[in-house]
Amino acid sequence: MKPRRAALSRPRAGLDTLLDGAGPSLLDLVDQVLNKGIVVDGEVVLGLAGVDLVYLRLSALLCAADGLRRAQRRRRPPRRARP
Amino acid sequence: MSVRYLYAVLRAPAPGALGVGLGGEPLELARWSNLIAVTGTLPDPPAVEVAALRAHDAVVRRLARRASAVLPARFGSVVRDEPALIEWLRRRAPGLREALSLVDGGEQMTLRVYGSATAGVEEPAAGALEALGPGARYLARRLHAHQRASTAPELAPLRRALGRLVRAERVERHDRSPLLVSVHHLVPRGTSARYRASLARARPQLRPLRMRASGPWPPYAFAAAAVDDQSSMAAQDSP
Repeated sequence: MKPRRAALSRPRAGLDTLLDGAGPSLLDLVDQVLNKGIVVDGEVVLGLAGVDLVYLRLSALLCAADGLRRAQRRRRPPRRARP
Repeated sequence: MSVRYLYAVLRAPAPGALGVGLGGEPLELARWSNLIAVTGTLPDPPAVEVAALRAHDAVVRRLARRASAVLPARFGSVVRDEPALIEWLRRRAPGLREALSLVDGGEQMTLRVYGSATAGVEEPAAGALEALGPGARYLARRLHAHQRASTAPELAPLRRALGRLVRAERVERHDRSPLLVSVHHLVPRGTSARYRASLARARPQLRPLRMRASGPWPPYAFAAAAVDDQSSMAAQDSP
């Protein structure tokens, strides 16, 4: 039988891949669902250290997502004036 | 060993089937007094994957359509069994009831505010501090910093534009340029379009700050305070 900790080690790898390349809408979902809401007296089984990791990476990724969005706006071709 | 997975706490939902949980399991209700915890029995704790997060949110949103007051649970919240869950409802009843009253009929909009670390923030007037002794000046600066962290005063033009649309606010200051602040607003259900329109009107007054709104969400940011010491966010509720 697999040790129970195997279920806890899996979420950390999942968190890393979860956030890589995530756009703003997915980051918002992660923030709401994984960082907020009621916790039943600390019984979050999926690896609480991973949630702290999410919070730290989330702030960085929200910054990166903002930078990417602004760069995309700058690259859009200018609107042509109507004759 | 199976786990009892918590989705939300609510007051009396509309009658009828509640559907299934993120693993396809039937949803179950545990009641204590007028508090209802909605759970599902899963064979294992769910893995942290995008599909599972979306499924959890989808269940919470479905419950919110069936009940006017819903407190979402954080992804991954589990309990041993129903007696443990009911005991938890009993112990946390005062906070849960207060939070349910707050979020009743509401939904959440979230703003991410970007800019430089000093944009739009006024330091205490030098003249106001000159008359104070060193200790008092230190305390005045600490008070200013606390007020800034808990209220995001640079968003005052936005709050004026939103007016009474905002029933409650939760502020998270990041100070990680360019992400400065996340602000979560509790607004009446069905008013997200008005919210975004007010935001658009306020944008010119908030420059050089930039804002991105998301929502509506179930009231995730207003749920944690129901169980006292979980919330690290500053709170302001309208009288």
